[in-house]
Amino acid sequence: MTERYAPTRVPRIKPPAQLTKYGFIAPAILLLIAFNVFPLFYTLVISFTDMKSFTKWEKVNWVRGENYGETFENPDYAQSIRTTALFVFAAVSIELILGFALALALREPFRGRGVVMTILMIPMMLSQAVMGIYWYVILNGNYGVLNQVLGISGPDGPKWLIDSDLKLISILMIDVWMWTPFMMLISLAALNSIPRHIYEAAEIDRASRWTVFRRITLPMCAPLLFLAVLLRTTDALKQFDLVMALMGPDDPATQTLSVKIFQVAMRGWNIGQGGAFAFVILIAVIAMATIFTRYIGYIQARQGRAAA
Amino acid sequence: MKLVRWTIIVGYFFLAVLPLVWLVLTSLKSEQDAIATTMKIFPGDSEPGDKSMVFRPTVKDSYAKLAEPLPGDQEPFYFFLWNSTIIGLFSTLAAVLLGTFCAYGFSRFRIAGAQDWLFFILSTRFLPPLAIVLPVLRMYQQFELQDTHLGLILLYTVFNLSLAVWLMKGFIDEIPRAYEEAALVDGYSRWRAFWKIIVPQAATGMAVTAVFCLIAAWNEYGFAVTLTTETAKTVPVYFAGLQGRPTGLPWPRVAAGALLFVVPIIVFTILVRKHLLRGITFGTVKQ
Repeated sequence: MTERYAPTRVPRIKPPAQLTKYGFIAPAILLLIAFNVFPLFYTLVISFTDMKSFTKWEKVNWVRGENYGETFENPDYAQSIRTTALFVFAAVSIELILGFALALALREPFRGRGVVMTILMIPMMLSQAVMGIYWYVILNGNYGVLNQVLGISGPDGPKWLIDSDLKLISILMIDVWMWTPFMMLISLAALNSIPRHIYEAAEIDRASRWTVFRRITLPMCAPLLFLAVLLRTTDALKQFDLVMALMGPDDPATQTLSVKIFQVAMRGWNIGQGGAFAFVILIAVIAMATIFTRYIGYIQARQGRAAA
Repeated sequence: MKLVRWTIIVGYFFLAVLPLVWLVLTSLKSEQDAIATTMKIFPGDSEPGDKSMVFRPTVKDSYAKLAEPLPGDQEPFYFFLWNSTIIGLFSTLAAVLLGTFCAYGFSRFRIAGAQDWLFFILSTRFLPPLAIVLPVLRMYQQFELQDTHLGLILLYTVFNLSLAVWLMKGFIDEIPRAYEEAALVDGYSRWRAFWKIIVPQAATGMAVTAVFCLIAAWNEYGFAVTLTTETAKTVPVYFAGLQGRPTGLPWPRVAAGALLFVVPIIVFTILVRKHLLRGITFGTVKQ
């Protein structure tokens, strides 16, 4: 007896309701808007005023573009922009080269490599403010370790923290110490992503080591290295903690952008001016963030194609 | 070539490790040894001018004194450590929870303008804290949140949200949809499926994200220095504020405090070493 075979219906999954969808993402997004977007608008608004940190709203005057004019004309601000640019350029370049060299050295596995790498990662994860005050001991001209190791302590040694030429170099040194592992880690990932068979093909074609490096290794690492440079640059532009911990907010030789804003707004009580200056920097940072995300999309598309 | 390679590795290793080793050694010295002009590598409770290299660590000037406030301060180191701990833990909890919800939404649902939203979320992490802290300061003064634990917890939660969302999205993307779909077919609601299926699978991811958020909150200085004065002051603000004191600092004590502060970070770093690359690139590059 043949029974009618009725195919069982596969139950369909209901598409999620709007409420569900937005319910999941709303809390986070609302918080971010409240704490980032509104303050940005507020900063924009007060940058057109002469608000000081203790004035009430009623007493605030509208000064229109004065603060911005001041930002572009005041030599102190120009100095801090120069300091920051110099710092960022030097720090990122040195970290990139050192980090990449380290990654090249650490590429081949050896016993204990995991331990060595983990230890090398530690400086990257430490608090800049805390380490800053600690490096004071090392860099102090009179009893600092660095000068003693170099064999020149006492009144003749280079005064890392007092000599105005050396101050920025000190900050640079500490930053390189902290962030080279960052570049190294990303460089290693980049190096490991190059498929073996390309090297084997090059070997068959009897390419020299230098050619291999120049034509294969470097170009294939370039995308991830660029990513690393982007990330590190955006972070370096924000440099604040280290300078504050080691030099304080008032030293013109090492005032990076954020430190200058702090000095103007928190020590000088001039929130309006600080706001204008901050907004100018914001534009630059947003530009970098845009490049970053577009670039991420590009890399992930490439990775997707490579894997396919 | 091999020689060059090993020179680089060993050389850099020493350079990287030396400051940390010095930190440990300083925390074990007596005060006069710590600032001796002739370098004393090993701590030894001795007369000035004694150049012996006998290893005699002492904690009497360092760890033992951590419970006392520094001259001129009101609170000892442990007070600030407690602040950092409370603020760090609660803000991490909130950030990971909210971040996971948000990441799940972006990972599984088609949301209009998702790329733009994700860009917005990421860009909040790129902002220099000083650029948005001024309005936040005024806002906090208004709501009496300034210098409170809650104020900083709230701020750190938001600050870490972008990291949490991006990291968790990476982790949740890796969980096959089949599991929740099976549950949904069986009649689970999205909410229940989320808690019963996704969360257990994403547990490692949540732990890793929690570690990175905790480290970020622990180390944070920019917001803390502008928004706290006494009650909610965290350790980084305390330490950075030590700079520029006219009377010299008791270095062994400072070193001991710094070490205590830094040890949890080192432990956590070792725990998540397999995910470090992901953590520092916001989840975009996997190890």
